[in-house]
Amino acid sequence: MAQLDTVLRLTAIALLLRPMGPWFVQPVLLALGALALISRRWLRRSGLWAAVSLAIAIRIADDWPLADNHIYLLAYWALAIALALRAEDATEVLAATSRWLIGLAFVCAVLWKAVLSPDFLDQRFFRVTLLTDPRFTEVAMLIGGLSGADVAADRAALAPLPHGAELIDPPVIVEPPRLKAFAAVSTWGIVALETLVAALMLAGSRAAHLRHAALLLFCAVTYAIAPVAGFGWVLLVMGLAQVDPAHVWLARTYVAVFLAVLFYSEVPWPGLLLDAIR
Amino acid sequence: MRMRFLPTTLLIAVAIGQVVLVRAFDLTPWKGGGFGMFATLDHAAFRRVDVVVDAPGRSEALEVPPSLELDVARAASLPVPWLLTKLAAGVAARERRNGRAVARVTLTVWRTAFDRITLHATDRPLRTFVYNVP
Repeated sequence: MAQLDTVLRLTAIALLLRPMGPWFVQPVLLALGALALISRRWLRRSGLWAAVSLAIAIRIADDWPLADNHIYLLAYWALAIALALRAEDATEVLAATSRWLIGLAFVCAVLWKAVLSPDFLDQRFFRVTLLTDPRFTEVAMLIGGLSGADVAADRAALAPLPHGAELIDPPVIVEPPRLKAFAAVSTWGIVALETLVAALMLAGSRAAHLRHAALLLFCAVTYAIAPVAGFGWVLLVMGLAQVDPAHVWLARTYVAVFLAVLFYSEVPWPGLLLDAIR
Repeated sequence: MRMRFLPTTLLIAVAIGQVVLVRAFDLTPWKGGGFGMFATLDHAAFRRVDVVVDAPGRSEALEVPPSLELDVARAASLPVPWLLTKLAAGVAARERRNGRAVARVTLTVWRTAFDRITLHATDRPLRTFVYNVP
């Protein structure tokens, strides 16, 4: 039961780490998160988690369709906690729901990348994103071998002209071989890893160790680069909910990766590394 | 205890609805709860809305004011008539508050497409919406 408490507390911490929503939702979520952390009685109350889920649903509706996907997942997760706490076998119900939620979310992610999207598997997504998204600039410079001048020139070259106009002789985009290789590895690596996580989650209780290894690897690698720590925390808390309480080391690994994602999000490590090697 | 399946049922229902909205109404795949984030370049950074205001003796392209940025973001993410109407009505109301004539607001939602080989960017119109100010 102590592990269930850890799952609930980490969920409350995830709520507090990224305050969300308009003025009529944010204080409610912060208060519920704080209440869950300071009182074990409230932590185990189904009603508290139902209120969390409802507040997040209101936050999603308030500026629909702008909410990020992990906000939806957090709402489903809070609802899953609320329902599990009403059951006699709360830990098992939560573990099963967690497997389904992660498995289905990853099935959707793989479907979008591999089937529905026209520009992912041909590597356009990562090639353009690494060059244009400021959140990936330092990683692109660090791993891809771009200079600051290359980044500036590429961004100018990738800016569209107004009203659909096209240049007869457009500038060439600078893409060092390392950057192209990084885009290729990112494209295929993420599809492979997400497919593996989806398959192992939906495979039921078989291959539990592989399932945890795949999810932990996904979170440890992806959220070192992707700027959505909130997504990583929800996935890790959901993964922890599936850990057999006898496997203390595995539970501790989940907590360690949860903290690692916190450090990824707060420490500008690519920039520091870039400065160090210059 | 069938209620225990409610979260997964909701996830599936929302995800199916999101695919329908993307295919039928040009919702950006990054939004709507279908887990299409980081899967395509069709997202907010590569969508924009042009605003043109017309009135007798006036035809002017406007910069989007900060007070309407949320409406612009919503209309760019999902360019459906009710969100475009809300944005256009907001533009018209602001123009009138500032004492400027407005008879018609034309919104054009653009999406940037990138060439498969060269990556060169081209803007393509996704939706043009004309709002006749009542």
